[in-house]
Amino acid sequence: MESDYDYDYEYDDDAFPESDEDMASGDDYEFDAHAEVQTAAKRAPYIIYDEAELRERQQKAVDDVAGVLSVDKGDVVRVLREYKWDASRLQEEWFTDTDAVRDKAGLMDRTQPASSSGKDQCKICFDDYNVKEMRSAACNHRFCRACWKGYIGAKVAEGPAVLGLRCPLPNCRAAVPQSIITEVASDTDLKKYSSFALRSFVEDNRQLTWCPSPGCENAVEVKADVGGEPMDVACKCGAAFCFQCTEEAHRPVDCATVHRWILKNSAESENLNWILAHTKQCPKCKRPIEKNQGCMHMTCSQCRFEFCWLCQGSWAEHGERTGGFYNCNRYEVGKKKGDYDEESLKREQAKNALERYMHYYQRWAENDRARLSALDAMNTMIEKRLEEISEMTATPTSQLKFLSDAWAQVVDCRRILKWTYAYGYYRFAESAQAQTSAHSSTAADALRQQQEFFEFNQGQAEYFLEKLHGMAEKQVGSFLDGGEPVEGWAKFRENLIGLTDVTRVHFHKLVSELERGLDTILDVYDNSAGQEHGDVQGPSAPQPAAAKKKAPRPSKKPRGAGSSQVASSKGPSQDELETVAGIWQCAHCTLANTLSRADCSACGNARGSRP
Amino acid sequence: MASKRIQKELQDLQRDPPTSCSAGPAGDDLFHWQATIMGPGDSPYSGGVFFVMIHFPPDYPFKPPKVQFQTKVYHPNVNSQGSICLDILKEQWSPALTISKVLLSICSLLTDPNPDDPLVPEIAHIYKTDRQRYEETAREWTRKYAMG
Repeated sequence: MESDYDYDYEYDDDAFPESDEDMASGDDYEFDAHAEVQTAAKRAPYIIYDEAELRERQQKAVDDVAGVLSVDKGDVVRVLREYKWDASRLQEEWFTDTDAVRDKAGLMDRTQPASSSGKDQCKICFDDYNVKEMRSAACNHRFCRACWKGYIGAKVAEGPAVLGLRCPLPNCRAAVPQSIITEVASDTDLKKYSSFALRSFVEDNRQLTWCPSPGCENAVEVKADVGGEPMDVACKCGAAFCFQCTEEAHRPVDCATVHRWILKNSAESENLNWILAHTKQCPKCKRPIEKNQGCMHMTCSQCRFEFCWLCQGSWAEHGERTGGFYNCNRYEVGKKKGDYDEESLKREQAKNALERYMHYYQRWAENDRARLSALDAMNTMIEKRLEEISEMTATPTSQLKFLSDAWAQVVDCRRILKWTYAYGYYRFAESAQAQTSAHSSTAADALRQQQEFFEFNQGQAEYFLEKLHGMAEKQVGSFLDGGEPVEGWAKFRENLIGLTDVTRVHFHKLVSELERGLDTILDVYDNSAGQEHGDVQGPSAPQPAAAKKKAPRPSKKPRGAGSSQVASSKGPSQDELETVAGIWQCAHCTLANTLSRADCSACGNARGSRP
Repeated sequence: MASKRIQKELQDLQRDPPTSCSAGPAGDDLFHWQATIMGPGDSPYSGGVFFVMIHFPPDYPFKPPKVQFQTKVYHPNVNSQGSICLDILKEQWSPALTISKVLLSICSLLTDPNPDDPLVPEIAHIYKTDRQRYEETAREWTRKYAMG
């Protein structure tokens, strides 16, 4: 396998200078909307091909193998296709048993030279032709050109299987050479054939995939085996998707979770859960009934059966004796005896599960909407307002790149944030169950702790993102309509650049932490508890302080885990989190500053000072 | 192309008719044929005459003809509609095959059913577990539907 990648590397880098490094670094693009994946994409190298480049790439793959095996290029295409474009496996088997490989692909040697004189009968139309006018594969079964054309046309209509076309004679396995197809096929058939051939190159090849964006015909090649891990790639068309599953880019969440989530969102199962949580069946006709108000005396609108909502018994059996219209002693008694426990517990659980799902789904969907609107706003800003801003601030547009950078960061982060909700939904499902069943165990405690940590980080990330989003959206607007004096622009610029950086760093950490797994992160904290607070060591080596250092800041938390929870449990303190996050938050103006700054870049107050 | 080729096949059949079967246009329509197959002597269909309907598609011979029994046949690979499960009538079709070859294939299918790829699983099951019962039923059906 490795050797295969080696020659791919050489070729790719030489042929297409616009390699992934250039693509992903984000430094040399100018105001394009194609930088959606910035935080997430810098992992495995990949190349984007348009159709012409892809054809070149395919030709090159064929040429390389043809050189090694020293066979005709047309034959190489056949065998490569047979081997799903896996050149190393082909070469291995070729040099082990050439005949077997050739036989598998239907390649055979012409046993006798095709005679060029005399007449022969076409085995399809049964007419006689001059041998010169007929064509045959290596098997020498001759057919006239019209019949070849009809045969190829019928097979093209049947689909991509035409790529493995064999001689029309029953039971003859000889491969039809490309030359015959090129010579006789109609233009439309040839076009289809060649598109099948290109598709096979991408679809059979494990290192290539199509860009899933509608209307985009680019393909992506990864240069290393990503081994089932999710891998975000950014196509030149602007789409960001996962190479593995071709769903929208979703790091740090794995493909299986994304798949489950998408399935869940579309599944009817949630409706069923709702019905279970909010309705009971009519005891007689079994239709589900929703009780949204009123007393316990129910009358089924369908079968007119009158019953008690609580015990679901016939209303005829009710009266003063059983507690009257607003209560049902039968129910209370039955509940004491345990008659209704299982059913109501089930209903309660379904309701909780539904509410839990709604919680995550709403946040997932909200962030998706925010991402789309940010993408929109970014494009509008670049296309329409840039000139205006440039004029107002007397800066060349080339120096306004920080604006699109900020927007691109917002778009990118919205996507990551969105998927952390799908992650949270599945990752902490057990902890939600443990809460309802009131069981407590060390495993559940650990999970709860992880959840607190995760939600705190998620909350922090969301907090900075909201801030960045708001700044990019509103403050630019107020500069434009004169709400804010132009003199403040330089300061604003500095702040926005700082905030963009901080947000990027923060999300980068969120992604890499989740990918490393929460178990190991908490281990780091557990092991180093009690150690002195060291200097910042860089993103991969958080060095948390002792947990007692400082009281949690009273400032409002964006959402999720409250600060008291975090500090009172074994979880990380504010200081630790700042270290992990790589930022400190100004207590005066709430701006996030990089740790290298001793004072706030917005209001100038010293780090650690309080209003 | 299609009609020319069908014409040729017809001439061939008339010049050199295969033993045990015959075929030709059912009316004026060259694309609609009727064929007869004599039940093979070494099979429970022996003595019967089976009518078969043949429809040629417009892109014949690049697409296979549609072939259907009109006479009821008790056979694992022929259902009650007369449809035949035969590979050369589907994915194994080759434009170099002819109606005469197809009819011969059907003859040999009557002699040697293919119970592992059945169209009627019940008959296939009986064929595999109780060969005598299968042969009796097939003979009875032949007597009832394919004679006289």
